[in-house]
Parts: sequence; structure tokens; C-alpha cells
Amino acid sequence: MGSEEGSSVPKWASKPCIMGIDEAGRGPVLGPMVYGCLYCALSYQKTLSSLNFADSKTLKEEKREELFENLKADESIGWAVDVIDPKELSAKMLKKNKINLNEISHDSAIGLVVRVLNLGVLLTEVYVDTVGDPEKYRTKLSERFPSIKFVVAKKADSLYPVVSGASIVAKVTRDRAVRDWVLDETADNIQRNFGSGYPGDPETKAWLENHKHPIFGFPSLVRFSWGTCTPYFKNLVEVLWESDQMDEDGSSSSNGKRQLKLSNVGITSSKRKSEEIESSGKGRCKFFQARKLEQLTHF
Amino acid sequence: MEMEILETEINLSVKEEEEEEDVSGKVHQLPCTVKYNGPSSVSHYFKPKPTPTTGIQHSFFRGRNLLGTTLPIPHPYSGFVIGKKSFVKRKASDMSEEKNSSCWEVKAKFQNLTYWNHDTLPSNDDAFSRSFHWLSVAEALHKPVTAEDLVSASMALKKMD
Repeated sequence: MGSEEGSSVPKWASKPCIMGIDEAGRGPVLGPMVYGCLYCALSYQKTLSSLNFADSKTLKEEKREELFENLKADESIGWAVDVIDPKELSAKMLKKNKINLNEISHDSAIGLVVRVLNLGVLLTEVYVDTVGDPEKYRTKLSERFPSIKFVVAKKADSLYPVVSGASIVAKVTRDRAVRDWVLDETADNIQRNFGSGYPGDPETKAWLENHKHPIFGFPSLVRFSWGTCTPYFKNLVEVLWESDQMDEDGSSSSNGKRQLKLSNVGITSSKRKSEEIESSGKGRCKFFQARKLEQLTHF
Repeated sequence: MEMEILETEINLSVKEEEEEEDVSGKVHQLPCTVKYNGPSSVSHYFKPKPTPTTGIQHSFFRGRNLLGTTLPIPHPYSGFVIGKKSFVKRKASDMSEEKNSSCWEVKAKFQNLTYWNHDTLPSNDDAFSRSFHWLSVAEALHKPVTAEDLVSASMALKKMD
């Protein structure tokens, strides 16, 4: 995490600067999501346009790598990344109070702005590829950073060279992170042919199929909260969560529109008796009920 | 689910020849039901990570963030993993004896266990930690009453009058 720029702030950073923010790995079912930013003096903007940055998706991998090395060597450019671990993505989206992907994305972008400002860079204009409604997103950012002019747009990565640059930073970092991913799991039958991670990629599909585990689901590289995982969960050992039970009883919120419903993860029927999930101490005196101590006559 | 009438009596017996395995540090109480009984490659997939200062541990299960803490089982109690006692079969086909047996034996023993909450920090207010209160209540309830106890109790009663 973080950029490789030196600890001393470049001279140009005290003059008005522009910055672009873009993301890589939002759609894939596995690996981290990466937010990248690139910044330079407003006066450097013209030169930046001549560096042939384009939307990272339209470039070949070697070209992206080459451009990334070039911009790293360019002393008039600064950059930073935020690598969000797939475990963090799953955990946040499967929290009791779910955080959706847009919120996670916004927070990451805001984090990058804060980090660059804290370096002492005088940001005056920031260009952001939108997540969700552009106008709402722009308002959110402007309220948080009143001194900065925000331009939030769809396809900002192909419209503004500074965002194209950021998209290269993000994409190369994401690709390298997946390539060099250190798996937490130590089972020795885990292969590394993840593919691109996009749900439609046949290599990714095959990898998911070959790496599902009846109890644990998948290695933690996989984003469990993705709808792509749902069909796989149907064939796994069923897991019922105490926190989901509370959900069904109607005490918890129901936000997150396209988000995978928690109770759908490996659950076939909708209504469950809570006794199945946790002991209750039902019918016993308060002391036992409060401690969920149940008397067992057989097991 | 298979219906089976079970006898309510449980005979605990300690395995004779060998010492039972100590599984302290490997017993986890999760905030969910896993509808499976049997072995699994737990240590390869479930990787609790301690935070040095707080004693709180972090782990993930099926994409969810779990926060846990390890509780000692108060002396002189112990935790046991029990399984149905296996008998030497008289006939190769005769499985019924084994199946209906109400004899259980200790397979493993533990002196601590780790319980996990989904997204919330473990605390003394959790039902699970509080369930240990029963041990001291049970002790008070079942301790034999001595003559001295009776004397001091009746003195206390008189004072209240």
C-alpha cells in the first residue's frame, strides 16, 4: 500500500495541483480492489496530455507496465494507491450493518485525497471516475473538501489524461497484486490460475469450481459477497448465522439493493427456527435464558 | 433427519490404553451452525490472528469478519470431546449394538476454548462468557452443608428478625 515517491515533497506541490482518481478490480469476484491516484502541477497538464496515457483497459498489459514505469520515473508526477483486500470487501458487505461497494469505493477515494493533502500537496482540482450517480458523488466530495473543485464523470478515464494516468496506476497495481497474491490458506492443492477474476472469464469460473471447499467455501482471495458465488454455495455444507436470524426477525436494517442477501448464502428455505442455530434456554428460569444454557437430554 | 430414540443416560468413560488427546487452543465456538459433523482441514483454512495488546483475535469464516477471545475453563473443570464408544463387533454385519449404544467415551480434552462474535468485540456481557457463571452457582447449590454453615445461617436469620 502506498506510493514509492520520496519522503520530501516536490517543489511543484506547493503550486496549484490537479489529481485524477480511478479504480481497478471493482467487478472481479476475486482479488483486491485498487484505487489509484495521479497528481501533478496544473502547469504540467499539457505535458501530461502528450504522455499517451489512455484508459488502461484499452492498452495492452506490456504497454501499461511501460507507462507505469515511465510515470514512476517522472519527477513531475506523484501517485498513490489504496489496495482493498478481498477479505475486507467480503467482511464489509456481509456485516450486520452492510456497507455496499459504492460506499467502500467513495471512502477509498476520499482516503486518497486526504493522504495526498496530508503530504502537503496543494490540490485545487480533482477528476474522478464516477461510482453511482455523478452529481451526488460530486456533492459528497465537495462537502468533504470545500477548497477543491471536483469533476465527477462517467468514463473520466478516457476524458481526462490525469484520470487515465490514475487508471494505469490502479490497473497495474491490481494485476501485480493478483499475480503475486500470497494466499492465507495453506492447503497444498490451491492453484494460481485465477484468470482475470471477472465472473465471465472461463479461467476464473474453472478456478472457482476447482477451489470450492465444502466447509470453508473458498480461499479468502474470493469475495464471498459477490452474487457470482451464490450458485457455488448451494452445493456446500449449509451454514446458518445467528446474526442473519436476527435479520429475519426484522430487527436489522435492509439496505443494499443489489447486494447478496445474507440469508441466501447457502440457505434454501427462508424461515428457520432460531433453536436450530443457537441454544436458547427456553422454558428455563431467567438465569439460564440469559446465558442461553439449555438442558440436553440427548445428543 | 433420521429419527432415533435415544436413551437419556450417558456413561462417560475415559479411554483406557492411551492418554486422551489435548485439544486446548483448537476448540472454537462460532456464531453460526455448520451443518456438518466430521473432520475438515480446519488449520489450512481457518487462520486466527492475534492482536498483541488486547488479546482479541481476528479471523474470517465464509467471508465474514469474526472477533474472538480465548477463555480458560475454570479449574477444576475440563472440556471434553466425546464420541460413542466403539465396541468390538461380534459379527461383521451386526452394527445395531454399536449404533444404539449409550456409552460415550472421551476422545479429547481441553482446558480453554475460543469463542467468536460476528463483527462485535467479545465482552463479559456475551451470553457465552456469562454461561460460566453457572459453575460457581452450581458449586454453591451443591456444596454439602456443614454444621458450622447451619449455625452461622441461623444466626444471620435471627439478626434479620
